[in-house]
Amino acid sequence: MNEWSGSKDLTYEEFVRFRDFIHAASGIYMEDTKQDSLRISLVTRATRLGLSSFSEYFAVLERDEHELNELLNLVTINETSFFRFPQQFEALRTRVLPEIMANKPDSNRTIRIWSAGCSTGEEPYSIAMTVIDAGILSLGWRVQILGTDVSTRALNVAKKGEYPKRSLLNVPSEVLARHFEPVPGGYAVAPHVRSLVDFGYHNLIKEPYPLALMGNWDIIFCRNVTIYFKLESTKRVVSNFFNSLNEGGYLFIGHSETLSQINDQFEAVEVGGVFLYRKPKTRRGIGIAARKPAGAPMPPAEPPALGQREAAVGRSSRTTGRKPERDAEQHSAARRPRPAPRASSSEAQAPDPVQAARAALEEGRVAEALELAQRIIASDPNNADGHLIVAYVHADAGDYAAALESCHRALAINPLLPSARYILGIIYQRQGDVVRAVSEFKKTVYIDDSFALAHFNLANIYKSQRKWDAAAREYENALRALYKSPEGAWTEFLGGFKIDLLAKTCERSLLECRKAMGVS
Amino acid sequence: MAARILAVDDSPTILEMIKAILESGGYEVITASDGNEALEKARGEHPDLILLDVMLPKLDGYRVCRLLKFDQNYKSIPIIMLTAKTEEQAMATGIRTGADQYLTKPVEPDTLLAAVAEELSKAKGQ
Repeated sequence: MNEWSGSKDLTYEEFVRFRDFIHAASGIYMEDTKQDSLRISLVTRATRLGLSSFSEYFAVLERDEHELNELLNLVTINETSFFRFPQQFEALRTRVLPEIMANKPDSNRTIRIWSAGCSTGEEPYSIAMTVIDAGILSLGWRVQILGTDVSTRALNVAKKGEYPKRSLLNVPSEVLARHFEPVPGGYAVAPHVRSLVDFGYHNLIKEPYPLALMGNWDIIFCRNVTIYFKLESTKRVVSNFFNSLNEGGYLFIGHSETLSQINDQFEAVEVGGVFLYRKPKTRRGIGIAARKPAGAPMPPAEPPALGQREAAVGRSSRTTGRKPERDAEQHSAARRPRPAPRASSSEAQAPDPVQAARAALEEGRVAEALELAQRIIASDPNNADGHLIVAYVHADAGDYAAALESCHRALAINPLLPSARYILGIIYQRQGDVVRAVSEFKKTVYIDDSFALAHFNLANIYKSQRKWDAAAREYENALRALYKSPEGAWTEFLGGFKIDLLAKTCERSLLECRKAMGVS
Repeated sequence: MAARILAVDDSPTILEMIKAILESGGYEVITASDGNEALEKARGEHPDLILLDVMLPKLDGYRVCRLLKFDQNYKSIPIIMLTAKTEEQAMATGIRTGADQYLTKPVEPDTLLAAVAEELSKAKGQ
């Protein structure tokens, strides 16, 4: 079946077959949104083996554990980098480490940190550098950091500790100077950092955990790992973390992840816009009755019924990149009170709370938009549009940390949301992180080439960098997109300005670029 | 010498468009993207006019306006505030904060240029 003579399409049935096999063998569960990335991994591996169909490759996978490892190495490739989401390392340095040190008896001056799902080692090394820079080693403290991962190839890279230059672009030069040594083609983590870190193989799904991992951890990092797991597995993993942590110990999860619906034993602690999870200290005589997580980032929500969840995912992908029609009818309809969202097959007629929230946003009723969006998320945490609206409101209010978090939540549900990419780009741009801004704007237009504002912003950035050629090209792209899709989703980011003005601005700037290039 | 205008908006997209409008009117434009930066640039560079968005992170436009208008050294700088459509009641606040003029967003380029010209000539006449 399915020879690769034509397109290398992975049918949904085939996807499910691989997904379930991978899930059974490794615990890693791939949501439907991962279908294409799995397809690419499969084609890559199968081609490497000289196979010509997915079914042939499946047969190999079934009998060859080594091949399963090879595939997992590709599947679990994570976007890792040093100091990824730096606010978390800042929180580690300023809040978590001091608190843990303060809680230890004088007789115990060892801090143990586990980086679970450490991939190629950037995270545990970043932790080590943060610890060193916090200056606690000179105070007589010992710090042990363990990185574990399910990918042996990733672990080999981690142990080697050498990274190409391009993967260190985000590392400030003084950190580079302090904690790295140049090697041909890149940098190696310096010995004083490496000496704090050990690596080992571990599959988070495989229970029971080895004794060495159970218990006595002060801090566990497990960021952007559980997104690969199904809810049940995630619950077990997080529960194992809870049991492995010392009282008062901290769990760091990815900034787009949440423990809501996964575990209510941790208390949520906010540090500088970052949510961390702390294992509470036992109160003697009190049972483990339900403890409300303090300050959880999301309102406690009813677990959605399965059908509802699927409907929501469908809805959110359908509305992707499209904007509700802007007629008077819709606005007045949006104000009418609506029944709570229910899974419904006749969706076309079902009132859409997302549209109501959007309408509120467009009319400047920001607080109302936020409340509506939060209600949408409460009843359906997988509603990407809900997260997007929250992101929009926060970004507009200048609360970038919260906006980033909501964007990432939306993207975790649907990585192909042009508006989420665009908002990320805007936030990075406002934060002065031009490299990331460019990357997000590029992703935006990659997903939706008619997103004129993303072209426009790319152009503006290139212009400010005096890359006239690239800037001119993007202004042209912006103009083309603008005429092609004057009603596109991007128009909601125009702040009410007319498209004509954008067009004029593009034309003006285009002229400027051409002049600078010496073409008039 | 061309008059220098400080344009303040937290959206780089909108800022770029406003900048284009102003530059097409022959003005020199400096920009700021939040309230603190606006204050710093207003004090540090003493522009001829400030175009101030209301919704700004850190310090909103009204506060920036009030801080400047109640300061002997800066109160002569004309301030045009840009408000969103739904902020009608805020206009009253705008007047109390001492803004010289307010325009509702989205503003027409011609309207903006006319308002700028008007405030600049008023300031000159003083």
